[in-house]
Amino acid sequence: MKFYVNVRYLIVPFMSLIAILGILFGGSYTWVGVGLFALNTLIDTLTRNIHLPADFDDSGESYGIKKLQYSVMFFMLPVFIALQVVLAYRIFQYNADAPIVISSFLGFSYQAGISGFNLIGATISSGLWAGLGIIYGHELSHNKKEGFLVSRLIMALSGAAHFTYAHVYNHHLDLGHEDDPATAPRGRNIYTHAWLSHMGQSRFSYILEQQRLSKRGSSALNIDNRWILGYLYSLPSIVLFVWAGGAVGVAALFSVWVIANFLLEALNFMGHYGLIRKDGPVEHRHSWDNDSVFTSWFFIEIGRQCDHHVRGETYFWELDDVEGPNYGIGYFSLFVITLIPPLFRAYVQKYLDNWDEKYASAEEKLIAQKFSH
Amino acid sequence: MLNFFRRSPANFEVNLTESDISFNVKRGDSLLSSALGAGVPWPFKCKVGSCGKCKCRLVDGKIKPQLDFGYVLDISEINEGYILACQSVPKSDITVSVNLNENKVSRK
Ligand code: FES
Repeated sequence: MKFYVNVRYLIVPFMSLIAILGILFGGSYTWVGVGLFALNTLIDTLTRNIHLPADFDDSGESYGIKKLQYSVMFFMLPVFIALQVVLAYRIFQYNADAPIVISSFLGFSYQAGISGFNLIGATISSGLWAGLGIIYGHELSHNKKEGFLVSRLIMALSGAAHFTYAHVYNHHLDLGHEDDPATAPRGRNIYTHAWLSHMGQSRFSYILEQQRLSKRGSSALNIDNRWILGYLYSLPSIVLFVWAGGAVGVAALFSVWVIANFLLEALNFMGHYGLIRKDGPVEHRHSWDNDSVFTSWFFIEIGRQCDHHVRGETYFWELDDVEGPNYGIGYFSLFVITLIPPLFRAYVQKYLDNWDEKYASAEEKLIAQKFSH
Repeated sequence: MLNFFRRSPANFEVNLTESDISFNVKRGDSLLSSALGAGVPWPFKCKVGSCGKCKCRLVDGKIKPQLDFGYVLDISEINEGYILACQSVPKSDITVSVNLNENKVSRK
């Protein structure tokens, strides 16, 4: 049981490495990361009706091995770096007009040089897996000290340097409230949300730093400003891509960051869309659970949002079903639906009606009514 | 020199100044989770170091902060020894002053 519980959370590191190898092998393999995303969507849809509780032994202890899971999370930092380095390597070849020929390295053949079409595949693959891997940046943002710094570095590599502080000090505190940019109000579509949530969280992080520094009598324009520092952590990526490909490099890095941030905000969107909290503590009803089996394992239980937001200090492998609001399907399947806003609104309406009826407090119901007019 | 090899104890004891309540904290666990585990009605809300509701004053002993308290507590509070229980891991037996009635007061 211990083996099974710990190994099931290794899907993302494993698939990220395959996506990296795909970019290295070149040719149409650069699209492998995109293909894996499609495959995951299929698996998630086919297994959407399987929901499993967390696994504990007879004494109530989780089977998760903390040291192993932490090693994996820290291992994701070099994986994120490798995702960018292999893409930069391909951009360098593209820019240098390297001839597209089959070469061999240590007995493995790969395609040297790259076409524009396959470079697009490499860029999307890299962006998708940088976005999916952000779940590790999220988990580490709750896990102190060294973990917090690794979280910041992972997020900076994905162009989301603002996230770590905004997530802890804004999203967890103001969840479901209009002060939380990461909670999407009813009627907002995922595209608008991605922009507003990203900018809102970044603004929050800046103000948070400004206030912290002013308490110490320091100006916000200071290298101690962690908002500025976070963006500076992204600087090596910019230098690498400018060096590798000038304007093409910048366009590729920008695309990676847009895709990664869009996926990050999609998770926020799916986790809290339309839910309302007036006053009082965050409760299970203020999040949507997406805990079908593949989503749970792939996204290291981040879909158990109801439990996570009430027990923010809890390791992901201990999060459980708390019978909160639940869409009944996984993130990959729901993500596809969110991409078509009218379809998403139609899909989610019955869940929102159910939430208003069964979960909302009297005050929350009153606010919900305003959205229905 | 020998101190270097000495293993720190598996548990630390926490004493509350305003009552005769005391409880143990397993090495590496947070003050708040241990208090709640021991049935102490410690005030809390977010458990991630952002709301300040679990604030208490460290009267004696050592803790390891898990997050920068400076986002939630004022400099003067930090200087007076205030800490966030959810983000504090005891490193010795400690004595703490906490307002357990704070639980009844609720903010957003
Ligand atoms: S419970 Fe919110 S800061 Fe500790």
